[in-house]
Amino acid sequence: MRQYFGMSRNGDLREAARGLSNPQLILLMSNSRQFEAHVQELEKLYPHVPSIGCIGMSYDTNVVENGVGITAFLDGVDTTANVLEQVSTIPVKYIKRLEQDLTQVNASQKDTVCIDFCAGNDACVLTTVYSALRNRRIPLVGGTGDGGKVSANGKIYEDAVAYALVKNRSGRVKVYKENIYHPMGNYRFIASNTDKAKYMIGSLNGQPAKQVYQNILKVTEQEILTQTFKNPFGKLNGNETCIISIKEVNGNSLACFRQVNDSDVLLLLELGNYQETVKETIQKIQRDFPQRSAIFSVNCLFRYKLFSKDGYMQKYLQEMSALGSHSGLVGYGEHYNNQFINQSMSCVVFE
Amino acid sequence: MFFHKNGKNGTGQTEEGEGLYPVLFVMNSLKDYHTALVNKEVDSLKELGMISSSFDSVLSEAGSFQDKLQEFGQNFSSIEQVSSEFGTVRDEISQSVKQAQEGVSELRDDSLQVQEYFQEMETTFQNLLAAIKRIQQYMSKIVSIADQTNILAINASIEAARAGAEGRGFAVVASEVKKLAMEIKDLAGEVDAGILDVEKGTDELNSRINVSHQALGESIQKVGETSDMFEHITSASDGATQVQTEISGVIGESQQALQTLCGYFDKIREQYQDVVKHIQAASYLGTTKSAMFEDIDNLMSQIPPILRENGLDK
Repeated sequence: MRQYFGMSRNGDLREAARGLSNPQLILLMSNSRQFEAHVQELEKLYPHVPSIGCIGMSYDTNVVENGVGITAFLDGVDTTANVLEQVSTIPVKYIKRLEQDLTQVNASQKDTVCIDFCAGNDACVLTTVYSALRNRRIPLVGGTGDGGKVSANGKIYEDAVAYALVKNRSGRVKVYKENIYHPMGNYRFIASNTDKAKYMIGSLNGQPAKQVYQNILKVTEQEILTQTFKNPFGKLNGNETCIISIKEVNGNSLACFRQVNDSDVLLLLELGNYQETVKETIQKIQRDFPQRSAIFSVNCLFRYKLFSKDGYMQKYLQEMSALGSHSGLVGYGEHYNNQFINQSMSCVVFE
Repeated sequence: MFFHKNGKNGTGQTEEGEGLYPVLFVMNSLKDYHTALVNKEVDSLKELGMISSSFDSVLSEAGSFQDKLQEFGQNFSSIEQVSSEFGTVRDEISQSVKQAQEGVSELRDDSLQVQEYFQEMETTFQNLLAAIKRIQQYMSKIVSIADQTNILAINASIEAARAGAEGRGFAVVASEVKKLAMEIKDLAGEVDAGILDVEKGTDELNSRINVSHQALGESIQKVGETSDMFEHITSASDGATQVQTEISGVIGESQQALQTLCGYFDKIREQYQDVVKHIQAASYLGTTKSAMFEDIDNLMSQIPPILRENGLDK
């Protein structure tokens, strides 16, 4: 397979799609002002080509902040794109679409990946989507777009998740997750008094969550939102740690960018040597895939801000491009199989 | 469409007009159970956390105690080392004592030999004194002979005077003899005086030799006493060796006991770690359960809205 990435910093879709012919799947990453127009124009340019889209920044070796970016897969892939609607309440109502699509592309664990762009209620969406993917053990990579809108096959949807199934006919696929944080000390909390609808943590080990966070890190209430860059929470799920960012302080509670449930076990994390972590990820991918045809990743907006602040973002993209054709989305939350995570990078590698 | 209105096949499994309300009812009940289960899970995890924390403390205490025991063992080793150093010092002392004993022994042998020389010297002195006595006796006899010669010379002079001129030459001889006798007598006196001086000097020398002899005797006694003291030191050193051996034995036994105790703690720690491993496994399962609760909740929460959307909740 081959991957195409085109961009236009001033939002010219035709410029972004210049030279793109006979794509098998298109991933559109647009801006909030032009999203609808871009979806329609793309459908005119490439009718009947499966596509999904969302509002968000995109990148290959450079970041497109307010324009438009197009990632397309060409040759050697079987694809399908679709949408689950009403994700805030009943995404399962549309699950048969996914089941049929899985059958249509004859999805299998070793060569098929599900890429999704979600408009909200991510944890519930991932539970629902993965309940269908689980049977075939199909990996998933995706992220949350901005503006509560996504597109699939030329149509705009609100309160939906757009997904694409990509079957690599020329080799394997595998998904990865990169965590640049590690546990801080031995802090371990059991969450309670949570509000899953508002992504709120009321108590940690029975104490008000805000005070617990402040007492450990010695920060003021105002500093909590910036401190989360250095010290997010990590939700334990067996051997996996899902990073959870703090969105805002609400009374004595902490509102997060991800649903937290009663009985979730949380760790306090701290930022590690992320440049070293990136190198390790690249080396791991190189070991797993000596031959790579494409990498599509979703990087959290937090990471983008952190890397940019530290002057590392450009170098990061250069380092990732050493793996080969690499493009991606700057998301508001990352998806890795059935996990909804923050401040992370998830990616799929095509052999 | 996931659910059909009641009595799809006319079986009448639900009451007329209830729709799928019983399903909704069950869902709500399940939701309550789910909430209760999650709360119980929170409590279980808290308890598990406390157990884990307690075991961490126990492990930490056991570790500290074992460290103390090992320090204790280190002290034993230090004592043994000191004891060993003491043994080295004792050996050096023994060696020095032995050398000193040999020196004292040589000194005593030399002193005894000197004492023998003194005794020989005393005999020589006695012989010398006897010789002096004999000389004195001889000198008395010489003086006596000189006196008799003198008398004879006087008698000869008288006879020469009676003879007149013919006896004049004889008178001269008699006078010379008398003169010679007097000279012999004077010389004998001088020899006598010399012998007296020799006798006096010999007495003084003898007296001093006696004093030296006496001092030598005392010195030999002191050497004997010193030798005895060295014997005592050697004997005491042998006693110290025994004490050191006993100390080493006690230390060895203590170390063995300590090792057994440490081994016991190792076993306890292994068992504790086994428990901790199980706690961690339980905690691991707890965290996966938490993710499953989320999945269950995410799926269950979709059923009531679906029923409502399809008008099946009445």
